[in-house]
Amino acid sequence: MSLLELKHIYKIYGELHALDDVNLKVEKGEWVSIMGPSGSGKSTMMNIIGCMDKPSKGEVLLDGVDIARESGKNLTTIRRDKIGLIFQQFHLVNYLNALENVMLAQYYHSIPDEKEALEALDRVGLADRAKHLPSQLSGGEQQRVCVARALINHPEIILADEPTGNLDDANEETVVDLFHKLHDEGTTLIVVTHDPEVAEVAQRTVVLRNGKIHKETVNTNFTGKIRFRD
Amino acid sequence: MKKRKMFLRMITASLMRRRSRMLVAFLAIAIGATILSGLMTIYFDVPRQMGAQFRNYGANMIFTPTGEDFTNEDLESGLSHIKSSDLVGAAPYRYETVRIHEQPIMAAGTSMEDVKKTSPYWLVEGEWPAAAGEVMVGQGVAESLQLKQGDTVAIRYTEETEEGAEEEAADNEIDYKVTAVLSTGGSEEDYVYMNMEDLEELTGLAGSIDLAEVSISSGADQLNSYMEQINSEVPSVDARLVKRVTASETTVLSKLQALVLLVTVIVLALTMICVATTMTAVVAERRKEIGLRKAIGASDKSIVTEFMGEGMMLGGLGGIVGVFLGFAFAQTISKHVFSSSIIFRPGLVPLTIAASILVTGIACLSPIRSATKVDPALVLKGE
Repeated sequence: MSLLELKHIYKIYGELHALDDVNLKVEKGEWVSIMGPSGSGKSTMMNIIGCMDKPSKGEVLLDGVDIARESGKNLTTIRRDKIGLIFQQFHLVNYLNALENVMLAQYYHSIPDEKEALEALDRVGLADRAKHLPSQLSGGEQQRVCVARALINHPEIILADEPTGNLDDANEETVVDLFHKLHDEGTTLIVVTHDPEVAEVAQRTVVLRNGKIHKETVNTNFTGKIRFRD
Repeated sequence: MKKRKMFLRMITASLMRRRSRMLVAFLAIAIGATILSGLMTIYFDVPRQMGAQFRNYGANMIFTPTGEDFTNEDLESGLSHIKSSDLVGAAPYRYETVRIHEQPIMAAGTSMEDVKKTSPYWLVEGEWPAAAGEVMVGQGVAESLQLKQGDTVAIRYTEETEEGAEEEAADNEIDYKVTAVLSTGGSEEDYVYMNMEDLEELTGLAGSIDLAEVSISSGADQLNSYMEQINSEVPSVDARLVKRVTASETTVLSKLQALVLLVTVIVLALTMICVATTMTAVVAERRKEIGLRKAIGASDKSIVTEFMGEGMMLGGLGGIVGVFLGFAFAQTISKHVFSSSIIFRPGLVPLTIAASILVTGIACLSPIRSATKVDPALVLKGE
């Protein structure tokens, strides 16, 4: 059984079909990139997979459970327990320091554990910046805090929406390296990106266009390492 | 780390690290709590303060005899039922008709020191009679008999006897020095006042009094309670309230207290509006943060708890500041209006803090409801 399966998913706003009969399977431990131009339905699909929105039609099976049929309260629980979210704009709480931002995810999930949160920051190379506020961190560092926050509760899937969209090349490489490590540890990754270099790092790339899956390519030379073009 | 500790850490961080943003709400609460605490202190202290003020307008209880004899012992027995801290003064009076220049005048024997306490509004021109042989004449008497301070006046007492009585009637005349002229604007101006001993010497009758004026500093309920207690337990005394004084005192007090309460309610309502407005702005400003919290697993209940926690902590802090500023505010008002210090009432500390927390909590309800409606998918959307 696939970890995630989208079956005939539609998201319709009046006349607009943001998603139009999308079918997708993601296996446990797989690294999938989702690409597509603006308005292609990437964000809508992310929101549905991330339990922040429901499809108009179709089934979304996450770990065998059809999340399209779940109540808002249950979706919050599923999101908390199974999904780690990474955003383009990082979205850290600006008055909490790096450590507290990571602990925030623990707080909603179970019990805050400062030691474990510090270890997560150490994994992303920011143990020494734990007490810094987001405003005292660079963009790359903020995104790494975001990664630490996403992985702290050991989610089934890490869902990253344009995770490198606001980063320079060096930080982009750092974040992709982190993804590589997570993938090596068996974490399932779904990364939405505009950037072909980031998309190509994944095992599989799904291209959306006008709400439909336009193309799927499998990276036969998968290394998990980013290769910048000149 | 326990969840509660993290919760406190979050709301403390939110208030402390965003203090410039929360300052307006904090100031609104602190000012509201200051006025609440100040006005409540005044509200509870007004009866005491006003009671003291009202005592300047004369006695509020009269003791009269129920039978023939009424002595100082009866007076003391009546006064023993009044708390000494409430008793401002009690002046005994005995009245006799005397003659000055053959004109009948009412002479009152009393204790001048006690009269000073029960009738502080008396305007005495000259020196209060202190030594034996000194009298104070009312303005009316002074005018009709052409008397002034420093004059010597012969006062004659002739005992009224029943027709056919065998005993010889007492007839005595003594010279007294007028030490003062009394103005009150009332019937007191038609009397001659002397010390009780002088009147007893003049009349040859000792031991009994006609009535006593008693000045008590307490509210209407307590006064009634004293009156009932004295009437039931001291049979020789008929205690009555001076309605003209007690009724006006009660009316003024209740109106003043109602006014203070009304102002307090208005201030609390304004505080609530100000806090609600500020919290609405705070929620609008933090929509992304709320969306993020929801995205990483916060339930609506968590969002409500966190914002309510922030609001209540703010309310508590504002309340604590307000308690002390409020006392200073009440003290300033008391010193300017009543010229006396106000009593600190510890019971108002929890009341003010609880009221601040409650008002802030109510003010936060609507903004928090809008916070729970934030859609994470919308607010976290990429640029």
